Amino acid sequence: MLRLIVRRLLQLVPTLLGLSVLLFLWLRMLPGGPASARLGERATEADRIAMEAALGLDKPLWDQYFIFLRDLLTLDMGVSTRTGRPVWEEFTQRFPATVELGVTAILIAVVVGVPLGYLAARHRGGWMDVGAVSGSLIGICIPVFFLAFILKEIFAVGLGWFPTGSRLTTGINATEVTGFHTLDGILTGELDATGDALWHLVLPGIALASIPLAVITRMTRASVLEVLQEDYVRTAESKGLHQRVVRLRHVMRNALLPVITAIGLLTGSLLSGAVLTESIFSWGGIGSFIRDAIDGRDYPVLTNFILIIALVYVLINLLVDLAYSLIDPRVRVH
Amino acid sequence: MHIARSKVAVIAAAVSLGLVATACSSDRDSNGSDGGGSTERFIFGAAGDPGSLDPSLESDGETFRVSRQVLETLLDHESGGTELIGGLAETWDSNDEGTEWTFNLRDGVTFHDGEELTAQVVCDNFDRWYNWTGTYQSTALSYYWQAEFGGFAENESEDTPPPNYVGCEATEDLTAVINLEEPSSVFPGAFSLAAFSIHSPKSLERYAEDEASGEGDNISRPDYSQDPEAIAGTGPFQLSNWNKGNGEVTVTRFDDYWGETAGFEEIVFRTISDEGARRQALEAGEIHGYDLVAPSDVDALESAGFEVPVRGVFNIFYLAFTQERNEALQDIDVRRAVAHALDRQGLVDTQLPEGGVVATQFVPDTIAGYSDDVTLYEYDEDAARELLDEAGHADLTVDFCYPTEVTRPYMPAPADMFELMKADLEAVGVTVNPRPMKWTPDYLDTTRDGGCDLYLLGWTGDFNDAYNFLGTWFDGYSKEWGFRNDEIFEALAASSVEPDVEAREAMYEEINELVMDFLPGVPISSSPPSIVFADSVNPPTVSPLTQEKFSEGSFK
Repeated sequence: MLRLIVRRLLQLVPTLLGLSVLLFLWLRMLPGGPASARLGERATEADRIAMEAALGLDKPLWDQYFIFLRDLLTLDMGVSTRTGRPVWEEFTQRFPATVELGVTAILIAVVVGVPLGYLAARHRGGWMDVGAVSGSLIGICIPVFFLAFILKEIFAVGLGWFPTGSRLTTGINATEVTGFHTLDGILTGELDATGDALWHLVLPGIALASIPLAVITRMTRASVLEVLQEDYVRTAESKGLHQRVVRLRHVMRNALLPVITAIGLLTGSLLSGAVLTESIFSWGGIGSFIRDAIDGRDYPVLTNFILIIALVYVLINLLVDLAYSLIDPRVRVH
Repeated sequence: MHIARSKVAVIAAAVSLGLVATACSSDRDSNGSDGGGSTERFIFGAAGDPGSLDPSLESDGETFRVSRQVLETLLDHESGGTELIGGLAETWDSNDEGTEWTFNLRDGVTFHDGEELTAQVVCDNFDRWYNWTGTYQSTALSYYWQAEFGGFAENESEDTPPPNYVGCEATEDLTAVINLEEPSSVFPGAFSLAAFSIHSPKSLERYAEDEASGEGDNISRPDYSQDPEAIAGTGPFQLSNWNKGNGEVTVTRFDDYWGETAGFEEIVFRTISDEGARRQALEAGEIHGYDLVAPSDVDALESAGFEVPVRGVFNIFYLAFTQERNEALQDIDVRRAVAHALDRQGLVDTQLPEGGVVATQFVPDTIAGYSDDVTLYEYDEDAARELLDEAGHADLTVDFCYPTEVTRPYMPAPADMFELMKADLEAVGVTVNPRPMKWTPDYLDTTRDGGCDLYLLGWTGDFNDAYNFLGTWFDGYSKEWGFRNDEIFEALAASSVEPDVEAREAMYEEINELVMDFLPGVPISSSPPSIVFADSVNPPTVSPLTQEKFSEGSFK
C-alpha cells in the first residue's frame, strides 16, 4: 500500500507540471488581460500599457512561465492581480468554506441517496422505485442555479426559515480556529456559532447535493440490482442467513464499490464545481472566487487554485482507492 | 416494517429541521440586531469587497462607499447635490492663477485615535502621496493621484506624467496652502475625491512601516491597508472589523465626531455579488438596503413597501463611433444619420428608471458648462435615410459591440438597449453585425483598442466640472474614438488651464457645441442609478454622485 501511495504521489509531479504549462498557455490565450480588468472602464490605453509593465506581462511568455515556476517551487504563489493579496492567503481563507459546503452536500447525497437507491432496488417496480428513479432524473435535469433560486425564494424569502446566503449571521462573533465554522464553534465552545453555521448550510447544501444525490441513488440502485442477481446472495439466502446479514455483508458491501468510486469523483468535482451555488448563496468559497478571477483574468489565482484543486482531487481519489480494501478484502490495491 | 420505520425517521428529521430552522429564524429581529445584543446594526448589501481600506490606493466605488463613512476630504459635496462645500476645510480660496490653494480647516476636529486635525497633518498626507516610490508609483495603486496631480517627487518611469503638485505648507495651525505647478480644471473638485481623504498622523506613521511590494505579476497591497485598526480618519464612523471570510466590513459610530452624530450605531457592508441575491436578502430582512437596483425590480420593490429614492442624474450613457475603423463613419452626414435614427426617448421610457432623461450633449444638464445651444438630433427616420442616401452610404454596415453580464449605473440593461438601437438602425436600412462581449476584459479591451464601429459606454462624474466628462474623452487622439479634431483638442487644452471658473464654464459651453456639431458619438441618456432601503429605515439623502453619507440615516 505504501508503494501505491508513493507511486501515486510521484505520478502527480508530471501531471501538475503538464497542467501548469497548459493553464499558463490557455489563460494567456484568452482575450484581454489582468491589466484591463483591474483598471476598469476609466483607464486609457497608456494606463493599460503601464499596468501591464508593472505586472510583468510585457516580458516574453517563456520568461513569465519560468518566473512562475521558480516561485511555485519556492512555495511562493504570488499575489492576486485583482485583490492585491497573496494567493495562498486568499486560498486558505476560502477553502474551508468550500470544503464545508462540499462535505455537507456529499453527506446529504450519501445519507439519502444510498438508502434510497437500495430501497428502490429491493422494491423494483414499486412506488418507491418509480419515485427514486424519476426523482433522481429531475435532480439531474434541474439546473443547480434554478433550484438554488427556488429554494431561497420559498424557504428564505417566503417562509423565512433559512437565511438567503452567507456562512454566518451578521453579528455572530465566531472565533476562527480552523476556518470551518461548524467545527470552530465546537472547539471554542461557541455552540451558537455552530448552530448558526449549520443553519446557513442547509439550503446551499441541498442545492449542491441535488446532482450527486441523483447520481448516487441511481448508481446504488443499479449496483444493488446487479448484486441481488449474484449466486452468492441466493446461496446466502437459501442457507437461511438473516436478511439483515445478507443485506449488509453480501449485498451492500459488494454493491457499494462502484458507488464509492462515484462518491470520490463527485466529492472532487464539488470542490471545483460549486461556482454557481457559492455565487447565489454569497458563500465566499473558492468557487465564486475562481469565477471572479476568470472575469478579472487573475492569472496567479487561476493557475495556483486550479493546481491545488487538481492535487486535492487526486488525493481524494487515492483515499477512495485505499478505502476499497477496507470494504472488500478481496480487493488489494496495486 | 423497516420501510415504515425509515419513513417515520425521514418525517421526524424533516419536522425537526423545520422546527430548528423556525427557532433559529425567530431569534433575529428585523432591525439587524442579533439575538443576544441590542446593537442597532444597519446592514448594506455591497456588490463587491473593497479593494482595501485605504482609498488613496483604490479607484472603485465599493471601496469609496466604505471609506467615505470613515475618512473625510478637504472639500465635500452638498448633501444630495453636486455643489462643492467645505469638508475638513471650512473655507477655501485660490490665487488668480489657480496655482495656490488655501484651506482654512475646521477647529476641534479629532481623529478616531484621538489625534487633532492640523494643517501640518493635511500637508503630511499630501506629501506622503507625492513622495511615493516603487510599486506605489504603479497606476494600480496611485491611479487618482496620477490622474489629478500628475507624477511624484521622483518619477521612476518615463511613462509617469510630470508632477503638478509642488508642495504644501502649513502657514498657520489650521491653514494649509497647496501649491501647483500650473492651474488645472480638476481643481478644486479633485480635493473632494475620496482618494485624497485625510488620515491621522499616527496612521501615517504606521503606513510608513509597511511597503507595498511586488515584482512581475505581484503588485501587493500593503498590510496596513487590510487592517481596520491601522486606519483612522475623522468621519462619523470608525473602522472596527473586516471579516474577509464572510465578506463584511463593520464600522461603528464615532461619538466625538465634529458634525452631527450618526443615526446608526453600527453599519455592516456585506458583500453579495449576485444582484438577485441582494434583492432576496433585502426581501428576507437580512439587509436594509443595496445599490444599483435593476430597473425591472424597482416597481416590484416599491409595491412591496421598500423605499427607492430617486437620485439626481450625474452620468452620461453614449453610443460611440470609432471613425478610423469604418470609413463611412468619417462622413459627418453618416454620423448625423445614425443620431437621427435612434429613438432615444423611447429607450429612456422603456429601459431607464424614473428620473432618466435624453442627453443632448456629453455632459448631464446638472453640470456647469452645459449648453442650451447645442445642435439637436431629433428622432427622424426620414431624415436619417436621406442623409445616408446623400452620403452614398444607403447600404451602411456596422459592427456594433455591446457588453453582456454587466450592469453599469448609466447602463442598467446593455443587451436590451442594444436591441432597441439595432432595431432603430435597421429601420433606416443600416445592417448591424452584433458583437456581444464579456464586459471585462474583452469588451473594455476591444473598445479601447478601436475594435468596434459602434459601441456603448458611459461615465459617472467624480465632481462638478465639465472637464471631468469632456476631457476624459476628447482631450486628444485616442484609438477608441479614432478621430483627430484639433479645434476640439485645443479648446479643451485651453479650458483645462483656465483658472477663472466663470470663463472656464463659458469655454465648456462652446466646447459642448463644437462636440455636438462634430458628433464623435451620440449621447443617449443620463439616468439615476437606483438605490433601495427597507421601510424600517429613514434613508440618508441620496447623492447623484453615489456618495451617500450613511450617518444621515437612522432606524424609524
